[in-house]
Amino acid sequence: MHTGMKDYPSRSREIIRGDPGVREAVTGATIAFDRKRLQGYAEVDAEAWRRWAEGVKSHTLTHLDDYLAEAEARLEANGAEVHWAADAAEARRIVTGLADRYSVTSVVKGKSMVTEEIDLNPALEAEGIEVYETDLGEYILQLLEEPPSHILGPAIHKSLQQVQELFADRLGLEPDGDPDTLASAARQVLRDAFIRADMGITGGNFLVAETGTVALIENEGNIRLTTSLPRVHVAVVGIEKLIPRMTDLAGFLQLTARAATGQPIGCFVSLVQGPATHPDDDGPEAVHVVLVDNGRTDVLAHEHAWEALRCLRCGACLNACPVYRQTGGHAYGHVYSGPIGSVLDPGLVGLHEAMPLPFASSLCGACEDACPVRIPIPELLLEWRREAQEEGLTPWRERAALKGLAGVATRPGLYRVVGKIGSRLGGTGMARALPMLGEWAADRALPKPSRRTFRELWREGIE
Amino acid sequence: MARVVRATASRPRLPHPGALAAAASTDDAVDAFVKRFTSSGGEVATADSERPPDDWLTDFLRGLDPEVVGVAVGPDVPRELSPGLPEVAAAHAGAGISLAWAAVADTGSLVLPSTGTRAVQLLPPVHVVWVPSGQVFARLEDALRELEPELPATVGLHSGPSKSADIGRTVVTGVHGPGRCVAVLS
Repeated sequence: MHTGMKDYPSRSREIIRGDPGVREAVTGATIAFDRKRLQGYAEVDAEAWRRWAEGVKSHTLTHLDDYLAEAEARLEANGAEVHWAADAAEARRIVTGLADRYSVTSVVKGKSMVTEEIDLNPALEAEGIEVYETDLGEYILQLLEEPPSHILGPAIHKSLQQVQELFADRLGLEPDGDPDTLASAARQVLRDAFIRADMGITGGNFLVAETGTVALIENEGNIRLTTSLPRVHVAVVGIEKLIPRMTDLAGFLQLTARAATGQPIGCFVSLVQGPATHPDDDGPEAVHVVLVDNGRTDVLAHEHAWEALRCLRCGACLNACPVYRQTGGHAYGHVYSGPIGSVLDPGLVGLHEAMPLPFASSLCGACEDACPVRIPIPELLLEWRREAQEEGLTPWRERAALKGLAGVATRPGLYRVVGKIGSRLGGTGMARALPMLGEWAADRALPKPSRRTFRELWREGIE
Repeated sequence: MARVVRATASRPRLPHPGALAAAASTDDAVDAFVKRFTSSGGEVATADSERPPDDWLTDFLRGLDPEVVGVAVGPDVPRELSPGLPEVAAAHAGAGISLAWAAVADTGSLVLPSTGTRAVQLLPPVHVVWVPSGQVFARLEDALRELEPELPATVGLHSGPSKSADIGRTVVTGVHGPGRCVAVLS
């Protein structure tokens, strides 16, 4: 699901100017999520929980080879089958291969970012398999053929009216239905899909090495149904989702929910160890876990960026981000958007591909404060910017301007003269007119400088 | 896997920080469970200890709005905890009756093993769950540690009714799973 990250500036402009409803809906929803997170954090010793979670995740990532081996052995002992996918294409081949093996004609899916990342749905549909996204927000977006714009609320950029129009058009509802009526219509369509489906496909919030448990968090119950009713369950899980023990899971289930929505825990948590073995269990006869790399080992090997792999996909940094709030996720052009996307995507797909996302931030630091695993997002953004500069990926004019600034700033006499000119003439207009600064200033509004330079003020004595 | 080994080779291996030191609640576990579960939209009923539990449950289900006619009962629910109402397939039942393995106070959760058949726990609009007395854990961690040696294929933690705010940020209940979840304490 890559629409191209390089178009971030133009797509942001299009969204903000052409579709102002998006900004309104996204800002409203993220502020509401963010408030709930603050309440959720306030009920516990959030600082201690976040330090603990950071520690467990960092421990796991630096022992990932051991824990992956343990998880694989345990899953197989539980009767599940484990598959390894080096990249998106291999992951798609594995899942379509399983669909073929079990003669699958109909699939239900739980919300999963990794299956968006590997672009799974088109691959299944190309095999003639019908695919239903069953999360209500994802279902809406599937009807609209749009990618999700937020990790947690994939359709938060849509207004009630837009959903009313969509359901009137596609499900034949009256165009003025309230959310209850709309949800109940979707429930009916999807209930049939659940009962008909041969295969349920989910992601995984966590994979517990010790027990081989795939843990899934949700509020609707669609993931529990996806992992329960079809005869085959396939969980597609990034290799960074490992945690060591079941007792760690207890902490992470609570912290993830608090960071995401302020809830003490998701309304439904599924802990899947393997296929049904008890005679009274009506669950799937086969469980497959597909472990996906797709760039993660590159991130893991990176001196700094590996810390981003602690990410729980809670969406807290998106909700806290003043930049994300303006556009929602679509502007970013990759499934992982917002602050975490801007540090993860360069590692997953390459810095060149992900430009200029590391620059799509004001470095205010709200993301780091919100993050339940204390990923130093602003630091990582700066690190990617430094690398972009080194690799010559920033605009040459900007590089020349910075070089010029360095030349001026290290020569006191010259600095004095240039400072004076700048303070008399400066402002957005002048900056845009300058060949060196034009590109940089095009997307920015600059304050009008003081009429007198700092050095002049200093000489006269600052009060 | 070879790539993972290479990727982590040059980094120092960091230690596990140990158990999360959560402040122990001073509340009684049952009270704390009731508080948490109801604040998430769950309902709690207490069976009348003067009456046989199956009779009490039958009247309780009849008293719901809409009145429950047909029920789906988990195979692990003992006869004396099953209501005297006609049993139907889970997809058509007015209520599903389950027996929890335990309840958890700090998250307000019911712990439901897959041996109770999942359709009963998920398809009917109302889910009524017996909580065995003496099986209310203060913390989720304690419950999972206790359960771990005999983990069934799947465990569901149900902590309130099914809900979504995906349409116009309005909370809707009963989207896919049960719209009402009733924990019965005895």
